[in-house]
Amino acid sequence: MTALLEARGVKRTYKMGKVLVPALQGITFDVEGGEFVAVFGPSGSGKSTLLHVLGGLDRPDEGEVLVDGISFSTLNDNTLAEVRLRKIGFIFQFFNLLPRLTALRNVELPLTLADMPEKDSIRKTEDMLRLVGLEDRMNHRPSEMSGGEQQRVAIARALINDPKIVLADEPTGNLDTTTGGEIVELMKRLNEEKGQTFVVVTHDPAIAETADRIIYLKDGLIQRVKERHGRS
Amino acid sequence: MRLKRIFSIAWENMKQRRLRTFLTTLGVVIGITAIIALASLGEGFRVSITERMEQGFELDVLTVIPGTLFAGRRQPFTDPEVANVRKVSNVSVATPVMQIGSVKLYNGDRNVTAIVGAAVNFTEFAEEVLPDRFRFEEGGLPEHVRNDTLVIGYKVNHGNETETAFAHPNDEVTMTVSIPNTTVPSFIKLESYNFTVAGTLRKTGTSGLTSFDYWVFMPLDTARRIYETNSSDLIFVKVHDPEFSESVAEDIEALFPPYQITVLVPIAFIRQVDSILNMVNIFLTSIASIALLVAGIGIMNIMTVSVMERTREIGILKAIGAKNRTILTMFLAEAALIGLVGSLTGVPAGYGLAHVLSYALSGLATPQQDHVFQRPEVERATVTPIFSWPWVIIAVIFGIAICVLFGLYPARKAAKLDPVEALRYE
Repeated sequence: MTALLEARGVKRTYKMGKVLVPALQGITFDVEGGEFVAVFGPSGSGKSTLLHVLGGLDRPDEGEVLVDGISFSTLNDNTLAEVRLRKIGFIFQFFNLLPRLTALRNVELPLTLADMPEKDSIRKTEDMLRLVGLEDRMNHRPSEMSGGEQQRVAIARALINDPKIVLADEPTGNLDTTTGGEIVELMKRLNEEKGQTFVVVTHDPAIAETADRIIYLKDGLIQRVKERHGRS
Repeated sequence: MRLKRIFSIAWENMKQRRLRTFLTTLGVVIGITAIIALASLGEGFRVSITERMEQGFELDVLTVIPGTLFAGRRQPFTDPEVANVRKVSNVSVATPVMQIGSVKLYNGDRNVTAIVGAAVNFTEFAEEVLPDRFRFEEGGLPEHVRNDTLVIGYKVNHGNETETAFAHPNDEVTMTVSIPNTTVPSFIKLESYNFTVAGTLRKTGTSGLTSFDYWVFMPLDTARRIYETNSSDLIFVKVHDPEFSESVAEDIEALFPPYQITVLVPIAFIRQVDSILNMVNIFLTSIASIALLVAGIGIMNIMTVSVMERTREIGILKAIGAKNRTILTMFLAEAALIGLVGSLTGVPAGYGLAHVLSYALSGLATPQQDHVFQRPEVERATVTPIFSWPWVIIAVIFGIAICVLFGLYPARKAAKLDPVEALRYE
C-alpha cells in the first residue's frame, strides 16, 4: 500500500538576515491513511518548517513531498493551492481564524473557495460545527469565543473539505491543560471515528504519548521513531 | 472562487471599515464630479456659443470680397464675373453689392448718418439671399423697385431709440454722398440726391461680421449711375445647402487668379470656433481628471496599508487554499467597488454642480450688447449644462479603471505574499 504522505530527503534552509539556518536536513518518512502521527521535538528543531513543507505552504530546497501520490514539486503555486484546498487541512497554534467572520463563515470559507453553492455549504458547515460541539456558537465571532472554542472552529475548518490529511501545528500550545486535553481528545475521536489522518507537531510529551507513532525531531533530523503497540 | 462571492466578500470588508471606505470613495466622487461638471458645462457652453453664432450668421450665404488679407489687391467685380459665380454648381443666387461708405440723410430739419450705404439688387438681395433680415417695421419693398427707393436700417432710423423714427414710408429724404474725383483722387465732391423711403427695417441683429441695422439700402442701378461705374464691391452668394459651402467657396476661388479674392464661409468659421471650444473642453476635462488621479493615488495608499494590515489574513486564506488569483481579485474587487460607488455618486453630483455653477455664472454675466450675437428674446447669457449618456458611461468606466489600475499594485503585492511569512506576521 502506498503511503498517503511521503517525505523523501526533505531539506530546507532559511536565511535569517545573513545567517543560513538549516531547518530541515534530510527528512524521510511516510504517513499511512488513518494514522495519528506526532512530530515531537524542542522548539527550533524544525517542526513548524516540516509542517509547512508537508502542507505545501513552503517548498523544500531538496527532496520531495507527495500527498496522495502527487508530488508537490510538479505543481505550480495555483495547483498547489488547489491541493491545499482539497487534500490538506491546517490547524494552527494561534487558531488563525478570520476575526471579522462568524464561526459559521470561517468554517465555510474552504467550501466557498471550492465553489460549493451557498445552500449546500451552509448545511455542511452546520453539520461540521455540530460534530465539534459548537452548535450554539455558530454565529459568534472569534473574539466572542474562548480559546478552546476557537480551536474547535479551526478544526472544523480544517476538516470541512474532507481532506486526506490534517496538519496541526502545536494545536494546544495556546490553551490551558484541560482545554488542550479536550482538543486532543476531539482530534483523537475524529481520527478513530472518521479515520481522519492527523500529523500533529508538538513539544508537549502528553500529546505525543497519545499518538500511534511519534517521530522525534532534533536539529532538522529525525532522531528516532516510536511506534505505539497494539495497533496495526 | 465565483466572482459574485468575491464581490460580496469585498463589499462586506468595505462595510467593516466604514470611515476609511467613505473617505477613499470621496476622492473618487470629487474627481468624477469635477469631470462631469466641467464636461457638461463646457459642452453646454460650446452648444450655446455655436447656436448663437448660427443665429448670427446666415449659414447658407457666402460673401466674396476682393483681395486677400495680406496679399493681392484686386479691382472691384465686373458683372460677367458675378455671372460666372452664379453658374457655380450648388449656387442658388449670386448678387452684386456696392458699398458706398457712410452717407448722410436729411428729412426736413433732422439728419442721420448711416455707417454703411449699400447698393443692392433688392429682388435678389432682400428677397432671395437674406429674406430673414429684411423684416419691415413699416412699409416694404415695392413690387416694382424704383430708382429712388430707399430702405433704412433700424439703428439708422431710430438712433439711440429714445427719439421718434427719423423717417416713415413715402417720406422724401435727401442723401448726401461723397464721390471721388476720378482725375484727382484726393478730391471728393459732395452731391445730394432725393429718395423716397420704401420701408424701414426691424432690428436684424448681427449677420456675420456686420449688422444691417446700421445700413441704408438703395438700388444698385441708381448707385451705378451716381458713381458712373459698372462694377461692384462684394458678391453675396447663396448656396443650396450650408454643407456645400466649402466646395462652392473652392469653386469660386478657382474662377479668379490666385490670391485675388477671399470667400467668407460662415460655416467654416463656426466649425473653427467649435473645434477650438472642443479643445478647451478636452483641456478642462483633462485638468479635472487630475482630481481623479489624486483619488487613485489615495486608493493605492489606503490599499497598501490595508494589505499590510491584512497580511496575516491573506496568509490564512492562502493556507486554506486560496489561489493568488483569488486574493488578487478580492482586492481588485474592493477597488472596483470604490470606483463604481464613487462614479455613480459623482455623476449626479457633477450635473448638480454644473447647474449650480451655470446659475451662478448667469447672475454674473452682463446683459448682452445688442449688436453682438444678439438674440432679442434672451437678455442674459445662460449656459445649460448638457447631459449625455456617453459621458456618463465614459466617466463611470474611467472612474472604475483608475481605481483598479491603482489598486493593481497593492493587490499584486497581496497576491504574491509568501504564505509562511504572512502567517508569521504580527
